[in-house]
Amino acid sequence: MNTETLRALVDCLIPPDDFPGAYDAGVCNYVERLLQTDLADEAELFVASIDATDAEAVARYNVPFAVLTHDQQISLLEAIESGAVESSWPMAPSRFFTILVNTTAEGYYSDPQQGGNLGCVSWIMTGFEDPADS
Amino acid sequence: MKKYDAIIIGTGAAGGIVACLLAEAGKHVLLLERGLALSFADVGRDHLRNQRLAIYGHNAGPELAGNPRVFVDPQGRSRLVKPHELDYHNNAACVGGGTRVYGAQAWRFHPDDFRMASKYGVPDGSSLADWPITYETLEPFYERAEWELGAAGDGDGIRSEIPRRRNYPLPPVPPSPQTVALENSARQLGWRTSPVPLLINTEAYRGRSACIACKYCVGFACPTDAKTGTQNTVIPRALATGNCELKTSAVAEAIETDDRGNVIGVSYFVNSSGTPQQVTARSRLVIISAGAIESARLLLNSRSPFHPTGLGNEYDQVGRNLQGHLYPRAYGLSSTKVFNGIGPGVTIATIQFNHDNPGIIGGGMLADDFIKPPIDFWYDSLPPDLPRWGAENKRFMRDNYTRVMHLRGPVQDIPNPDGRVTVDETVRDKWGVPVARLSGTTHPATVDAAEFMRERGEQWLRASGCEKVWSTQPGLILSGRQHQAGTCRMGSDAKDSVTDEWGRIHNHDNLFVVDGSLHVTNGGFNPVLTIMALAFRSAEYIARVI
Repeated sequence: MNTETLRALVDCLIPPDDFPGAYDAGVCNYVERLLQTDLADEAELFVASIDATDAEAVARYNVPFAVLTHDQQISLLEAIESGAVESSWPMAPSRFFTILVNTTAEGYYSDPQQGGNLGCVSWIMTGFEDPADS
Repeated sequence: MKKYDAIIIGTGAAGGIVACLLAEAGKHVLLLERGLALSFADVGRDHLRNQRLAIYGHNAGPELAGNPRVFVDPQGRSRLVKPHELDYHNNAACVGGGTRVYGAQAWRFHPDDFRMASKYGVPDGSSLADWPITYETLEPFYERAEWELGAAGDGDGIRSEIPRRRNYPLPPVPPSPQTVALENSARQLGWRTSPVPLLINTEAYRGRSACIACKYCVGFACPTDAKTGTQNTVIPRALATGNCELKTSAVAEAIETDDRGNVIGVSYFVNSSGTPQQVTARSRLVIISAGAIESARLLLNSRSPFHPTGLGNEYDQVGRNLQGHLYPRAYGLSSTKVFNGIGPGVTIATIQFNHDNPGIIGGGMLADDFIKPPIDFWYDSLPPDLPRWGAENKRFMRDNYTRVMHLRGPVQDIPNPDGRVTVDETVRDKWGVPVARLSGTTHPATVDAAEFMRERGEQWLRASGCEKVWSTQPGLILSGRQHQAGTCRMGSDAKDSVTDEWGRIHNHDNLFVVDGSLHVTNGGFNPVLTIMALAFRSAEYIARVI
């Protein structure tokens, strides 16, 4: 799997600001673990769709997704979300995007035992946990 | 072969109570549970695999593999569903059943809930009917459930709608910042409110400790056993008598009958030693308490030349009128923080819209909500106009997780005979038994009532000063899930009901159903206290006649 691309993708979905973005919160660990377990049936197509994301980036901008400017990344993600892709995809791009958005949120906001939400970062950010208690 | 006085199938809200009362009356009881006795650690705190948010699995059974159901959507397309999927309509399968992981709201039904047909008439396409008993008949058993198990609330706050002789044994949960805002706005609207009654020890009660106000109530197990379930009250009492034998991982296959069609026992599968075994146990009497879907399935799968379409099903009534609750949900963005991290989180309700709403049949209760873990909030509670991803989504989670007020409530189901449980001959579980097939929807009048209640939710939040309000409205779907009820209705006529007022199957003297299946209608409230009250009533009767 192209981990650089996955990293860039999840950081577009939950970007760093005053609080860590998805990658720094461990979301890629979470997604990779899920692809070996509960999402194993769709893992092959999902991984191929990450490559298809790069192929779309190359077709439009001649560089892979991780190298695009932020605005280019967002614009390409909006195209994938709406299914407006130029190449052929291993699964419906909107379906890939839904899985990506949901699993990124799951990795960021669920319990750290799942592999993401390192240091309970999202729980402190949202106020679900009081930092004084952690 | 050993012959028991009674075999009880299921250890949930009803089965646990029946086992306890019979065992304490000196009867020899075999109590079968298809799941396991789950410890606090077994249930765990997985935010993605629990009874409230079950994305990839759940935490209180049944196992995902080998226990499918068939779901038929409103367009008539059928598909296999796994236990953690919404369309499976699961309730927990473990010792304690749903009470192991429920939220424990301890509502009585309203007196008018027992006379829906008389009050409203029967709309076309509905099987709306009166109960064979009144609220007054059940009232002492509600009181017994509240005092014997331990309910917390403020009886004076709801007495004007639902009369009662005695208050609750325990004080209500304390208010939160959200409670105060909702209470003040309700007063301005002229609405009455009360604390939400809960089967949770707000103080130590009957040997179990008090709630520690953690953030994991509904969907999870309680770390201090302050949340009351049958697994920590009546089942230990039953076992302490020495008269009750509890078998876990014991899956009922069929009710056994003799060559004249009389009920003589139960055949079941056990897997406790790792090797599956088929066992037949004999008893003078059988009580099915497996929940509205599995109780119906068991009767339908109990066929013989005397009962070719299943026991109790001469008139094709078993499995019909499956009911649960549609749940309208409303959310409002408050200008101040309303989350204080103190569980269970549900604190205030209004029950004045349960009846007498213009142009509406029934209605429902409306309350604030249990604490929602952030991922549950992300899936469930975000405004529809918020982007699902990107900086704006993250900012909303950061700024507003503690500022969103939640209201939701169960709307009285107007029963539809076509919303039903049958069995699917072509799909078998891992034991080879035909699985439940769920089809149909609730009646359109339920959707009208849900829409009315959604509007009340929005109204309440706007009056509370929320700057932005949004809501979700369930459509015309099958309801059931954890509030499943109605599939073996009580009544006086075998042509339109399955049991008599005690839960005894018509034309059988020794076969009973005691669980939510008996509910003729399911109220506009969480049904568990009614299931418990009926169980106390039926169990007292069964202990007398056995």
